Amino acid sequence: MAASLVRLVRGGVNRTLNLSRSTALIQKRLETTTTETKPTVRPKDAVTHNQLSAFGEYVAEILPKYVQQVQVTCFNELEIMIHPDGIVPVLTFLRDHTNAQFRNMSDLTAVDIPTRPNRFEIVYNLLSLSFNSRIRVKTYTDELTPVDSSVPVHKAANWYEREVWDMYGVFFANHPDLRRILTDYGFEGHPFRKDFPLSGYVELRYDDELKRVVAEPLELAQEFRKFDLNSPWETFPAYRQPQDAPKLEAGDKPAAQ
Amino acid sequence: MASTAATRTASGAVKVVKPIFSRDINEAKRRVRELYRAWYREVPNTVTLYQLDISTSQGREKVREMFNKNKHITDPRVIDMLVIKGKMELEETIHVWKQKTHVMRYFHESETPRPTDFLSKFYQGHDP
Amino acid sequence: MLRLPAVSRAIAGVAHSKTCLAPSNNFRTSVRASSNMVEVFVDGKPVMVEPGTTVLQACEKVGVQIPRFCFHERLSVAGNCRMCLVEIERAPKPVAACAMPVMKGWNILTNSEKTRKAREGVMEFLLANHPLDCPICDQGGECDLQDQSMMFGADRSRFTEGKRAVEDKNIGPLIKTIMTRCIQCTRCVRFASEIAGVEDLGTTGRGNSMQIGTYVEKMFMSELSGNVIDVCPVGALTSKPYAFTARPWETRKTESIDVMDAVGSNIVVSTRGGEVMRVMPRLNEEVNEEWISDKTRFSYDGLKRQRLTQPMVKDASGQLVTTSWEDVLTRVAGVLQSVQGNEVAAIAGGMVDAEALVALKDLLNRLDSDNLCTEEVFPMAGAGTDMRSNYLLNSRIAGIEECDVLLLIGTNPRYEAPLFNARIRKSWLHNELQVALVGHEVDLSYSYNHLGDSTQVLKDIAAGTHPFCEVLAQAKRPVVVVGSTTLQRADGAAILNAVSTIAQNARASSGVEEGWKVLNVLHRVASQVAALDLGYKPGVEAIRNAPPKVLFLLGADGGCITRQDLPKDSFIIYQGHHGDVGAPMADIILPGAAYTEKNGTYVNTEGRAQQTRVAVTAPGMAREDWRIIRAVSELAGVTLPYDSVAEVRDRLAEVAPNLVRYDDVEQANYFKQANELAQTVDQTLLAEPLIPPQVSVKDFYMTDPISRASQTMAKCVKAVTEGADAIEEPAIC
Repeated sequence: MAASLVRLVRGGVNRTLNLSRSTALIQKRLETTTTETKPTVRPKDAVTHNQLSAFGEYVAEILPKYVQQVQVTCFNELEIMIHPDGIVPVLTFLRDHTNAQFRNMSDLTAVDIPTRPNRFEIVYNLLSLSFNSRIRVKTYTDELTPVDSSVPVHKAANWYEREVWDMYGVFFANHPDLRRILTDYGFEGHPFRKDFPLSGYVELRYDDELKRVVAEPLELAQEFRKFDLNSPWETFPAYRQPQDAPKLEAGDKPAAQ
Repeated sequence: MASTAATRTASGAVKVVKPIFSRDINEAKRRVRELYRAWYREVPNTVTLYQLDISTSQGREKVREMFNKNKHITDPRVIDMLVIKGKMELEETIHVWKQKTHVMRYFHESETPRPTDFLSKFYQGHDP
Repeated sequence: MLRLPAVSRAIAGVAHSKTCLAPSNNFRTSVRASSNMVEVFVDGKPVMVEPGTTVLQACEKVGVQIPRFCFHERLSVAGNCRMCLVEIERAPKPVAACAMPVMKGWNILTNSEKTRKAREGVMEFLLANHPLDCPICDQGGECDLQDQSMMFGADRSRFTEGKRAVEDKNIGPLIKTIMTRCIQCTRCVRFASEIAGVEDLGTTGRGNSMQIGTYVEKMFMSELSGNVIDVCPVGALTSKPYAFTARPWETRKTESIDVMDAVGSNIVVSTRGGEVMRVMPRLNEEVNEEWISDKTRFSYDGLKRQRLTQPMVKDASGQLVTTSWEDVLTRVAGVLQSVQGNEVAAIAGGMVDAEALVALKDLLNRLDSDNLCTEEVFPMAGAGTDMRSNYLLNSRIAGIEECDVLLLIGTNPRYEAPLFNARIRKSWLHNELQVALVGHEVDLSYSYNHLGDSTQVLKDIAAGTHPFCEVLAQAKRPVVVVGSTTLQRADGAAILNAVSTIAQNARASSGVEEGWKVLNVLHRVASQVAALDLGYKPGVEAIRNAPPKVLFLLGADGGCITRQDLPKDSFIIYQGHHGDVGAPMADIILPGAAYTEKNGTYVNTEGRAQQTRVAVTAPGMAREDWRIIRAVSELAGVTLPYDSVAEVRDRLAEVAPNLVRYDDVEQANYFKQANELAQTVDQTLLAEPLIPPQVSVKDFYMTDPISRASQTMAKCVKAVTEGADAIEEPAIC
């Protein structure tokens, strides 16, 4: 697979170049002051890109029921969009398949995009130590639809899912111990949701008469800072950002191929 | 495959959703009653364990008030979600993970009620 | 299965099909083309425009904006910045879109390689001499050069030469100049000569040494000078009072209405942290276009000084001491309850909103009193204020652009209503409006026919014996404007009668259609029309004749009534926002809110109802005015039936429905009847000449409690009397 590239020659090459480096540097510096023609664009790594896309297609062909879309980002990261029903099978496949071996769940989190019908995007970041490769699995849900817990597949997911539950209010079905992890007992709301105010709803203080900490509705003594960053020229129709690509239902193949 | 296709055809008329626990409103109501019973039984223990300055009946009154606050909800999924959160709170209370301040927060003791008539609002501040 | 290639292929397919489609589209629309319209294409999209339209306007018609610096919709075309260069298909060179009229069948390419390259080249030249001091520049964040260089400029510069530097000019206490930043678009020069009518700014030198300035060191002497700050696309002209105080992205903008004069300019109040940082104009073609006067723009610092923030009561030694709302309201209620109804009177000042006016009227009516007056006088003999058409600017401000002869009587619109004057100047410049003036000879920024300043002239015109009557007789759409101050003289009723006779005669001779209004009254203060609509009596004569035991001053700072006019034991309550003329003589002070601190309704001199909005909360314990009156009413046992602004406005709608029809002008048309009624009054005119109160520019700046408290306005007065050098400015930047 992609990650099986072995860089044997690297150390040797560096050592041989060491002698001529100082002269080369001076030359380089002279060059930069005179002409600068190269555009500041990230160089393309076609080899990695092709390897990742090939593996993505491979996964999509094996799991056509769950995989909705496969993409490689501009930073050469492979992303697989799946239907929420397919979390356990897909993660199990990626963990156990000989050519995948993504045995390590390095991260699990969520993204809140309130404009979408399914506002939460659940993101699983997996690492394959055997192939030195990473993959990102994404799925979606809303406030009330439960998502299958991935704890049976990856033990590491336990606290991550508790965090997502606490911060976004996404319910994970079949989780062994789903309770709050970061917020205070009695805290109401899910702070990472976009509709949760930056200031929160309550403020805490120590009350001398009651001899304990009390929570009271928030009263801002100072104006809340809010920046208005619109420029009149950004409203030009020709310079607006393109629209987001449409989401596909499970089982549908993208139009190409 | 078939199930997703069915979901898609059904979504045209009524959106078929994945239940959290309860399949219908009666099941959801049963869960609410279970939770209420559990809270009701727990109140005396809580009052003694946390050494609260309230009587058991006051505590039960508060529990009742908290449940009544959401009595207008009919969607079983929303009820389930509230029951899950209620269970979580109950667990925190039973295990004494909470402290006195967290339990007493339900009672809003330190808050002064907002004025409702024109004159007291006028004396208090600019807000209408 | 991969998304990226598929998507790019799809896009390529779409692009391909679009190019295929374009010619067929062109064919279809060219068939429809009517004879007098010209068809052009913007990026292949067809659009029909009138002949003589510029390329830039044609592009704007299809929603494509062209970058520009020197072009401004309300100024003449200069075409010197070259930023609007666009490629025309099959033309040898790119053309300047702002100055080039379109030709039939042109295809304008607004985003082609050549266009982009031309823009990048122009931007590179502009930036060759523009300093890179955006972090310390006050225009940063709202700078056209900054935004457009991000959008259309190249990402690097090839210039290694030093930049040009230009000496800064001192053009007065309002406008700060950093001339090194100037890109010579000449917008300010064109604004000064075309809109403001002051030939103070100009260019000197050529090429790299070209400069904008006054040539000799002098002040930019215009009542509209602040607008060059908005007009300037870079940070060369910025606001001196606003310098280094806030950034545009951190301020909150509240759309509001100005109350410094009776025009009711639409403004945006920028606030940060509960403080007004600046005031800027808001577009309203019917009222102020996009300009505001200097008093509107710069007097906001008066909102922070001399404010009444605490309720106060006069103690035994005659000193005003601060107290609580509970105490002061009980005292006021006690005083109101202890006297007979008709022993209470009220005077409303010039900046009071309609909500407070109606609340005070309701309160006094419930106490069986009807002694409600305004400070401004209006002749009550004859039709008086019963006919609404008698006291409005009936032709409307925008209507001046349609008239061809204008007769001004005893007014100086340049300082009484600067934006009305700007309209007259616009019409004088573009529509060949003929202006004549009866009254003191003043500089109006345009030429006019001065008919004299005696009342005899009025009599002659009314009688038809004056030579100017021929001009009036030949006019197609005549307009007569009389200043409200002229009607405040002892012979006001007679003057109003003479003026309305002139207007009636002019209407008859011009044969203009029924809808055209001739008679107009130009008011000075923002609250007057609303107060008259609500049934307040104009003038304090009644109070002087029958002094009341309790006098309620609602923002009355005109000084028209003093302690000496009242009996010793009379009790004065002052409610308002500034410690100005009215507050010191009061026994009780109720701190109110200024126009930036309340949701208020104001009716301008045209009769147009507009509303201000809360931009900041009132300082200290000050409250919205109608709330104070509502609280007093409850303690006095005559509770007014409204608790919220919406309910007060319902009450307003009951009394005068036009007051809540916002942005709408209620028509009034009873000139003939009013004129007939006016014949019954005493017709003797006094011999004194007609002199408006604001004659020269130094009378303009400080006219009301807010501008009298403003340091900026005080500096302006000093600068115009002693010269711009008299103002000590710390050496900054």
